[in-house]
Amino acid sequence: MKLTPSVLELDWTEVEGKITRFIKDYVEKAKANGIVLGLSGGIDSSTVAALSAKAIGGNKVLGLMLPEKETYNPKDMKHAKLVAEKFGLKTEAIDITPALEALQRTIPIFDAGDKLSKGNLKARMRMLYIYYHANKLNLIVCGSSDKSETMMGYFTKWGDAAADISPIMDLYKTQVKKLASHLGIPKEIVEKPPSPTLWPGQTAEEELGIKYETLDLILYGLEHFMKTEDIAEQLGLQKDLVEGVKERWLKMEHKRRMPLTTKLQYRTVGFDFRIPFTK
Amino acid sequence: MKEKFLTALAQISCQRGDKQANIQKIEEYTERARRQGAELVIFPELSLTGYTIRDELYELAEKIPGPSTNAIEKIARKCKVYIVFGMPELSAKAQATIYNSAVLVGPEGYIGKYRKMHLPTHSVFEEKRYFRPGYQAGTFETAIGKIGLIICYDIFFPEVCRLTRLEGAQMIICISASPSVRKAFFEALTVARAMENAVFLAYVNLVGIEDGLQFWGGSRLVAPNGKIIAKAKYDEEDLVVGEVNYIDIKPVEAFVPTLKDLRPELFDKLKGKAEEL
Repeated sequence: MKLTPSVLELDWTEVEGKITRFIKDYVEKAKANGIVLGLSGGIDSSTVAALSAKAIGGNKVLGLMLPEKETYNPKDMKHAKLVAEKFGLKTEAIDITPALEALQRTIPIFDAGDKLSKGNLKARMRMLYIYYHANKLNLIVCGSSDKSETMMGYFTKWGDAAADISPIMDLYKTQVKKLASHLGIPKEIVEKPPSPTLWPGQTAEEELGIKYETLDLILYGLEHFMKTEDIAEQLGLQKDLVEGVKERWLKMEHKRRMPLTTKLQYRTVGFDFRIPFTK
Repeated sequence: MKEKFLTALAQISCQRGDKQANIQKIEEYTERARRQGAELVIFPELSLTGYTIRDELYELAEKIPGPSTNAIEKIARKCKVYIVFGMPELSAKAQATIYNSAVLVGPEGYIGKYRKMHLPTHSVFEEKRYFRPGYQAGTFETAIGKIGLIICYDIFFPEVCRLTRLEGAQMIICISASPSVRKAFFEALTVARAMENAVFLAYVNLVGIEDGLQFWGGSRLVAPNGKIIAKAKYDEEDLVVGEVNYIDIKPVEAFVPTLKDLRPELFDKLKGKAEEL
């Protein structure tokens, strides 16, 4: 297999059709009133919002804008509003700063200097707001995780990845960009550097230490059972870099599965109960 | 025996786990097909229950003949048509041994069944976890010719169609539940199997979404010369009717005489090599 950007090309009209059918079918089978999602103004949530609107109509999609003061960026809010307007979504903006500060005050060991633990609180707090709306309004939570960040475990466990369905989880980030352009997501959103916005100035590529264009080809190679040395050679990369990606991908399985238990009885959750999703 | 008849490809989606609802849909589609003159109506793999039923299979599997085949037999008698459909079959001699089977019923009642020989257990498929494979080809003498049955992944193994053809099938029916990532394979293989065996081939695929798997439809009736006589839509329910005329077999069988030129001694070699793989 030749690892060139062309391997990531898909028929975007067909992909749009498959994902919108999937969303519509799931919402109908779950007998939900619609969809709720966090709308950050970034490429992933914009894409999922657009797909949801195309699937079930924008008036049945609620985009929650959940800024907090440390990472507040008027540009992101503008982008979120732009997408909401373009695809006719319902929106609600809630400043989560007071809730975050209250939560932090009640944690005796809270450490403001621990960026990661503090940042994860933000992602999990957003999850609480989203799920409250889902419960109260009988909505399905649509997650925005893509395949690159899911494979790398680059997300907050039980935070931003918490959802009922994740419609773009089988698309690498560079593919999401192509789909976003196909859907008519404004260029300024598509080209903006992706960020989980857990702390100011955070960007995904800087933190992962690799460009998505390269990462996605490495992950594609790993997905197709290629050896790390072959991937490195083809992409002109150091073998250590590719091995590091592979190691991280495998190490993060705990973030992608049901919590592990130890088998004690006849059929066990996460092991050998095989039950289909919604009827 | 009829040389010429209309066959309907009933490309349905299923209510997963709801046999009654699916039997009702089978009845509706059969009536519609009958009104269009069809004498044979074909439904997808596991169309009685839906495809992705996992552990519920142990509750849903039934003996053949059994209550569900009786119900569909009644529809066949009432509409005076042949019906092929798929269902999980519980072994008559065991309590939790299940086959992935295709059933043929007709105006005369229950005719026969075929148990899927190749059970995909890779990628998203877990059939060997639940099903026992069959060991026999399924060919059946009817008033509309000798009909052979195969199921989905069987089509990747040319020997299944060949065996069915050598048992005398003039028409091979492949019922299927294929997710969309495999479309290209089936589009090529359905035509190839018809041409290499000089046989009519009807492929009927499921549509709808089950557990994130999207079944692509695209059912088709292929003539022995590879021409697609009738083709259903992609991704949505559809009912299409096409004519089978056995007179079309002879010119193809004479033009590319694959049956005449078969080399039986190769099959022994194949067996040896396959065991060594």
